[in-house]
Amino acid sequence: MRDEAALMRSARFRAEREQDWIKLEALVAKAERGGVQSLQFAEARDLASFYRQATTSLAIAREISLDKALLEYLEALAARAYLIVYAPQERLGGLIGRFFAASGPQAMRRSALFVAAGFLCMALGGLTGFLLYLESNDWYYVFMPSGLAAGRGPDASTEFLRSVIYDDSPAATGLGAFAAYLFSHNTRIAIFVFGLGVFACLPAILLTFYNGLIFGAFYALHVERGLGWDLGGWLSVHGVTELSAICIACGAGVQLGSAVLFPGQNTRKEALRLAGRDAVKLAIIAALMLFVAALLEGFARQLIQDAGARYLIGWGVGALWLAWFLLGGRSRR
Amino acid sequence: MSLSRTRPTPNRQHRRNRRAARKKAASRVIPPEGVPLELPVASLGVRVAAQLTDLLITFAAAVSILILLSMLFFMYWSTVFALGALLFFFIRVPYYILSELVWNGQTLGKKLMKIKVVAHDGGSLTTHSLVLRNMMKEAEVFLPGTLLLTLDQTAPWAVWASLAWVAMAFAIPLSNPHRMRLGDMLAGTHVIRLPVPILLKDLAIEAPRAISANGQRFTFLPHQLDHYGGFELQTLEKLLRAQENRMSQSSAEQNRQAMTAIVERIRQKIGYADAVEPDDELVFLQAFYSAQRAHLEQRQLFGDRRANKFYADARPRGTG
Repeated sequence: MRDEAALMRSARFRAEREQDWIKLEALVAKAERGGVQSLQFAEARDLASFYRQATTSLAIAREISLDKALLEYLEALAARAYLIVYAPQERLGGLIGRFFAASGPQAMRRSALFVAAGFLCMALGGLTGFLLYLESNDWYYVFMPSGLAAGRGPDASTEFLRSVIYDDSPAATGLGAFAAYLFSHNTRIAIFVFGLGVFACLPAILLTFYNGLIFGAFYALHVERGLGWDLGGWLSVHGVTELSAICIACGAGVQLGSAVLFPGQNTRKEALRLAGRDAVKLAIIAALMLFVAALLEGFARQLIQDAGARYLIGWGVGALWLAWFLLGGRSRR
Repeated sequence: MSLSRTRPTPNRQHRRNRRAARKKAASRVIPPEGVPLELPVASLGVRVAAQLTDLLITFAAAVSILILLSMLFFMYWSTVFALGALLFFFIRVPYYILSELVWNGQTLGKKLMKIKVVAHDGGSLTTHSLVLRNMMKEAEVFLPGTLLLTLDQTAPWAVWASLAWVAMAFAIPLSNPHRMRLGDMLAGTHVIRLPVPILLKDLAIEAPRAISANGQRFTFLPHQLDHYGGFELQTLEKLLRAQENRMSQSSAEQNRQAMTAIVERIRQKIGYADAVEPDDELVFLQAFYSAQRAHLEQRQLFGDRRANKFYADARPRGTG
């Protein structure tokens, strides 16, 4: 009499392939422990072919077998092997180099329009703040958060304002001040501007505009006291970099927001993903610029007391950024 | 089905089915080989636990470096706090990105919780997507979080804004079946639970010859095997596999009673005339399992897939 189990197709199917599955399981376990680099050449070759066999087995088993335990095992095994076979295969060093040499500035140039929109928001805010302050001093208190002003307002004496700009006893320089500045107002603004852009652009634009308002009113206060040139120098040192970073972050936020608003032929999620490719590079650039700005603010501003030199440093660094954005990553013909 | 529970209304049942179907669809990843794989989506609770573990690790690293620094240099308290926040930031961001790159989508916390990041489209994870999803984590959770901790009472709107932002960051994953947060959507990734491959033995091969203690052989006729479908077969499989577990005295007794009831039920349903001795119940069930599986698999090969015992009703009409 013939054995019923031997006749059953799914049992035969399993018996024929079981050894390969167990080998694959061992290979996957080894690769998971020590990474794919720990495999020998022959093992890596076997991993790929066993993986393909296992997926084929799974496809067949789904059709012919009703053994739930077998199906679950193959599902799990194929999935584990899949995760090993399709692991990221890029090197980190090359990635960072590529970002600075090519992909960063290229992303900037691709999204020039959005960045320009960011600058426009800031400039309009600045102009509005400036004109409103000249119309009435009281606007200053409306715009300016009290923590940021640190006593510098329409009530303060001109002498006090000058003493802040040209600080003769720089006590709070060095690392501590640098760290404190990095988490200061503008960094937060930049991150919020980027993150909030997803909500249909509006929060990003508003925040940038508001930041411009503060800046405009602050500048108008000093112009009124005849300190416009000096404040320009004081702000230029880090402000050129820092305010540009906020505008770029705003551009990235607007890019995300516009993907949500106008997804075109794609779904919103897909459009967001595509827009994110450039937006995240812009955000990294903005973060980098804020970092440099904090360095300048923490060290250079208090060390250099001459207004002319301050202008030179601030706008010089700005020109370097611009050169990077315009010239970086262009392919030589 | 217990009697004490109220039966769900058809509408609610329908919704529940739809949710289950969506969950099943969400756990399907199609690799380049084209064979769909089942990768269950990780639940939010597990992900939060992994996140907390990672946070603890990076925080401990930042604190220990800070203690070292403060022993080497004299620092003011305000400087210590600012420096601590800075250190935490500069350890945390590379930690997430590098560990997910090196360990193929797993941080230490994720390893501990056995979850993993995968590419949403079934391809391999790219560095871009890993950088993106971890950068967005900063903007999504950490920054509003630190804002909440550091803000003073003078700006209540900012507190509320950051609170709303954090709430939204948690609401987005709950609103899609893949449990993707904003960063996942941008990066095209989602987080899965790692499946564990365990190869159990084949019941159809391992089963002893279907011969009872007194030499009687259990055989089933084809019409006796037309009563059940795949679901019932796999339920029986589960029961048979459970027999190998060690059981306590009371549960063994319960198990024996259940076996008797099941054998009786099957015998009545399929019209198996001969009585089954109590000692032969397990052998009978094993024999029935093998025969039923062989029968169903054969039917399946002929294109007659029987999901459960209601297969006759579910069959589309007008084709025969």
